[in-house]
Amino acid sequence: MAVSAKAIKTRIKSVKNTKKITKAMEMVSAAKMRRSVDAALATRMYANLCLELLHHLSHIDEPNVAFLQKRPVQNILLIPITSNRGLCGSFNSNVIKQAGRFLADKQNIAAFRDKDGEEILPEGDVKVDILGVGKKSALIAKRNNLDLVAVFDKLSEKPSYDDILPITQMITEGFIEKKYDKIALIYTHFESTLKQTVKVRQLLPVSESEIRKMIDQLPHAVQEVEKKEEDFFPIENYLFEPTMEEILEMVLPRLIEVQLFEAVLESAASEHSARMMAMKNASEAAGEMIDSLTLTFNKARQAAITQEISEIAGGAAALE
Amino acid sequence: MPIDFKVVTPYGVGYEDEVEKVTIPTTTGAITVHETHAPLISILEPGEMNIHKLDGSVVNLAVTGGFLEVRSQSRVYIMADTAERAEEIDIEQAQRAIERAQELLKQQDQLADIDFAKLQAQIEREMARISVGKKYRNAK
Repeated sequence: MAVSAKAIKTRIKSVKNTKKITKAMEMVSAAKMRRSVDAALATRMYANLCLELLHHLSHIDEPNVAFLQKRPVQNILLIPITSNRGLCGSFNSNVIKQAGRFLADKQNIAAFRDKDGEEILPEGDVKVDILGVGKKSALIAKRNNLDLVAVFDKLSEKPSYDDILPITQMITEGFIEKKYDKIALIYTHFESTLKQTVKVRQLLPVSESEIRKMIDQLPHAVQEVEKKEEDFFPIENYLFEPTMEEILEMVLPRLIEVQLFEAVLESAASEHSARMMAMKNASEAAGEMIDSLTLTFNKARQAAITQEISEIAGGAAALE
Repeated sequence: MPIDFKVVTPYGVGYEDEVEKVTIPTTTGAITVHETHAPLISILEPGEMNIHKLDGSVVNLAVTGGFLEVRSQSRVYIMADTAERAEEIDIEQAQRAIERAQELLKQQDQLADIDFAKLQAQIEREMARISVGKKYRNAK
C-alpha cells in the first residue's frame, strides 16, 4: 500500500505543475485577449461601413473593372486564417473543418449566378490553392493534398494595417492576372469570449449577392446601420468625384484590404479568447484532478496506517 | 434634418455626431456638405476637415487620406486612414517625422518606387497635420 501512496503523490505533483503552466497561460491569454478584442471591436464600425460601401459599389455593372469581373471558375484561392500556436481549444480545428466542408463542395461553390440570375457552372474540374495565414493553415493543404502558395506566419500579436498589405497585393495580382477566378477567405468571427463562429467570405470577385449575405449574417451592431438602408438609393444616381473609374480604381483595392484586415483582427481576438477558455478549462480540470487524487492519496495513507496497526495488534496478540 | 456624421478609421471611431454642415478636403478640392446632399462617393485628401456642430461651434479634424460616402437622407460617412482633433496634434512630433522621412529620401537614391511613394505620402500627411495643428494654436 505504501508504494501506491508514493505513486499517487508524484502524480499529484505533476498535475500541480501542469496546473501552474495552464494558469500562467490563462493569465497571458487574458491580457492578450483584452488587447486583441479591443482592436477588433474598434475596427468593426470602419469595416462595416466599408462593407456597405462595397455593397453599393457592387451594383455597378462595369465588366472592364478587374475586381468586378465574374468569369467561369477554374482556379480558386482559399485563404484560411489560423493561429501560429496550438493549445487554443477547437479554434484551429474549426477552421480546418470548415475548409474541408468548403473543399467537399467546391464544384458548387465555384458556380455563380450572372446578373440575369442564370447559374453558371464551372468548366471542368476546379482546382483549389491555399494561401495560409498562421502556421497551422499549412495542415489544410497537406491533409487535402492541395498546393500551398504561401504561408504568412509573421503577423504580430496585434496586426497593423501594413502587415496585411503583402497578402492583399499577392491576391489582387493573382486575380488580375487571371491566375485565380475566385478568392475566398475562411476566418473566425468573434462574437463573444464564449462564442466564435467560423465564416467563409468571398473576397474576389466583388459580388452583390455574397456581400448581401455577409451583411445579413453580421451581428446586431451592423443591422442598426443597415436598417435605414431599406430605401436603397440606386448607384446609378450617385455622384462620383473625380470619376467613377478613378473611384473604383482607388477604393476597391482598399475595401478588399479592409475586409482582410478585419478578418485577421477578428481571428486574433477569437484565437486569444479560445485559448483563454481552453486554458481556464484545463486549470479547472487540473484542480478537480488534484482534489480527487488527494482523496485517493489520503485513503491509501489511512489504509496503510490501519494495516500497520492491525499488524502490530496481531503481533501483540500472538505474543500473549 | 441634421446630418448623421461619422468619421471612422481602421483603429476606431474618430468622430460621431449629428452636425449642421461639414467641409471635407477631397482630391477635387474642398467640398461642403449640407443636409440632404445628393449621394456621393469621393476620395479624401490629407488636410483639414471642419465640422460645424448644431450649436454653432466648429470642430477641426486633420485627416490623412481615405474616402467618403454621402448617402441619401443626410448621412455622411468618412472612412479616413487617420483622423485627429486639431488640439491633439503634436506639431513637434509631426515635424520630426517629416525630417526623418526627408532624410530617408535623401539618403537612399535607389529606393524602390513603393518606398519612395510611401515616404512622399507620409510627408504630405504630416504636413497636413501640422497645418491643422498650427492653425488651431494660433486661433487660441
